[in-house]
Amino acid sequence: MRDVAVLGVGMHPFGKFPDKSVTDLCRDAVVAALSDAGMQWRDIEAVAAASSRFSGGKGWGLNGNDVVEDMGSTGIPVYNMSAGCAAGGNAFNVGYALVAGGIYDSVLVVGGEKMPKGFIQTSGVEEETDPEFLRQRCVGMPGPSFWALLCRQRMEEFGTTEEQLAKVAVKAHQVAVHNEYARFRKEFSLEQVLGSNLVSDPLRLFEICPVSDGAAAAIICSAEKAKQLASNPVWVAGSSVATMRFDDGLPRGLAGVVPPGRSYHSEASLAVEKALAQAGAGPEDLDFVELQDNTVYYELAFPEDWGLCKPGEAEHMLETNETLPTGKMPINPSGGFLCFGEATTAMGVFQVCELTWQLRGEAGPRQVPGAKLGLGQTLGLGGNATAVVLKR
Amino acid sequence: MTAKRTPVIDGLFSDTADGARLMGSRCATCNVPYFPRSELCHNPDCTESRMEDASFGPHGTVWSSSVQNYPPPPPARYDEPYEPYALGVVDLTDGLRVVGRMAVDDPKTVKVGGKVELVIEPMCTEADGTEVTTWMFRPI
Repeated sequence: MRDVAVLGVGMHPFGKFPDKSVTDLCRDAVVAALSDAGMQWRDIEAVAAASSRFSGGKGWGLNGNDVVEDMGSTGIPVYNMSAGCAAGGNAFNVGYALVAGGIYDSVLVVGGEKMPKGFIQTSGVEEETDPEFLRQRCVGMPGPSFWALLCRQRMEEFGTTEEQLAKVAVKAHQVAVHNEYARFRKEFSLEQVLGSNLVSDPLRLFEICPVSDGAAAAIICSAEKAKQLASNPVWVAGSSVATMRFDDGLPRGLAGVVPPGRSYHSEASLAVEKALAQAGAGPEDLDFVELQDNTVYYELAFPEDWGLCKPGEAEHMLETNETLPTGKMPINPSGGFLCFGEATTAMGVFQVCELTWQLRGEAGPRQVPGAKLGLGQTLGLGGNATAVVLKR
Repeated sequence: MTAKRTPVIDGLFSDTADGARLMGSRCATCNVPYFPRSELCHNPDCTESRMEDASFGPHGTVWSSSVQNYPPPPPARYDEPYEPYALGVVDLTDGLRVVGRMAVDDPKTVKVGGKVELVIEPMCTEADGTEVTTWMFRPI
């Protein structure tokens, strides 16, 4: 395996852009990433793209082809990757593998999405053999209620309070004020978060991420290529993809086996463990983490799953400000999904952008001091998860 | 006069003299339960898939619960005006963790860890007055 560098990153700000297409959003991100890398479009040898479910891609998730046609059809190979909300992370892993394996020297990884209004509809398929269809038709439990059920279970097990849930959102907005790419750049008080409407009791409107339009791009290169263009690039220390295990105890379809032990979010844990092992690092070596905070619940549950703190201690870490950029274990210094809104398939690449800026020391007032090793993680429908560890 | 009833999906559940049942299967080799029915045992540690029809319920314990505070998007069904309902994840004594609505008047009253029984109850009504039923969990 060859060493792989992240040479350039770029993002289109997140928000609602009714006058732009997803290709418009991706164009801005790709042009910015090329400029950041000091490369021309002709230098790109292959594209690993996240397949959008909601926009562009000729209705078939061919978003990478849209990008190539837009930038200029040079005949390069395009890999369109589908993994629900983990698609951006999945595309990064495929791009990484192609460079690490010696197939190409420079690959563009890109993800963009224009989201329809309202909460994500979890199934477009009306077939009685589709468990997601059955779950919505027979029970009626859309995405936020799944998160609410996990959150309530945690509250029962660890005594997490409504105030602690709200504090995660307060913290996210506190840092996003400093991120020019974030959709929501306004501080909220604890009272404001607790005063927002219940969406799925116990979760409130400001405690779950909305949907946004956005795009992100990253250019990854072999070490040889990178050293021609940059003196001190950011390196990929680990990149992995995983799916859930059979003994996972979360209520995903209509029913599963009651697990013998505590086995939740197994796909995310597997991906993170693999990426850290590849990096030769332990959770204690991480300087900061960008995790998929569709809801405040994940920012409390994931750090415990991954050994960033002990089970039941995430609330203490939050309340002692250890998850702020200046704390011992900064979590989501970008502001995370809560402040960007989820442009589903772009998110894995969005995390690579933030990791890169942090590791270069370019994150301004939200900078994690002395950041050398950072983790990004995504989670997608179907039991998909990805993790990436970048280092400087 | 009792309203006519129809299941939201055929073949998933039934009412018996001993209470409601979910219709699924169980692997005779590794004993893993499945709902809905499965043609193949999905347990990667199972040595031979031997699927047999099985039914599950009615007794269980609430693993977690929440309230669906807003009207869910399609293909969920509900009557207008929308009334929030409680959702539950229940561990049946048969070893199955199942999702379902809670058959309670006040969704805030559901207790995690509480004992429940499986019931078949109306979830919405067709234009002709036919009640559409699904499985739910009622605290006992």
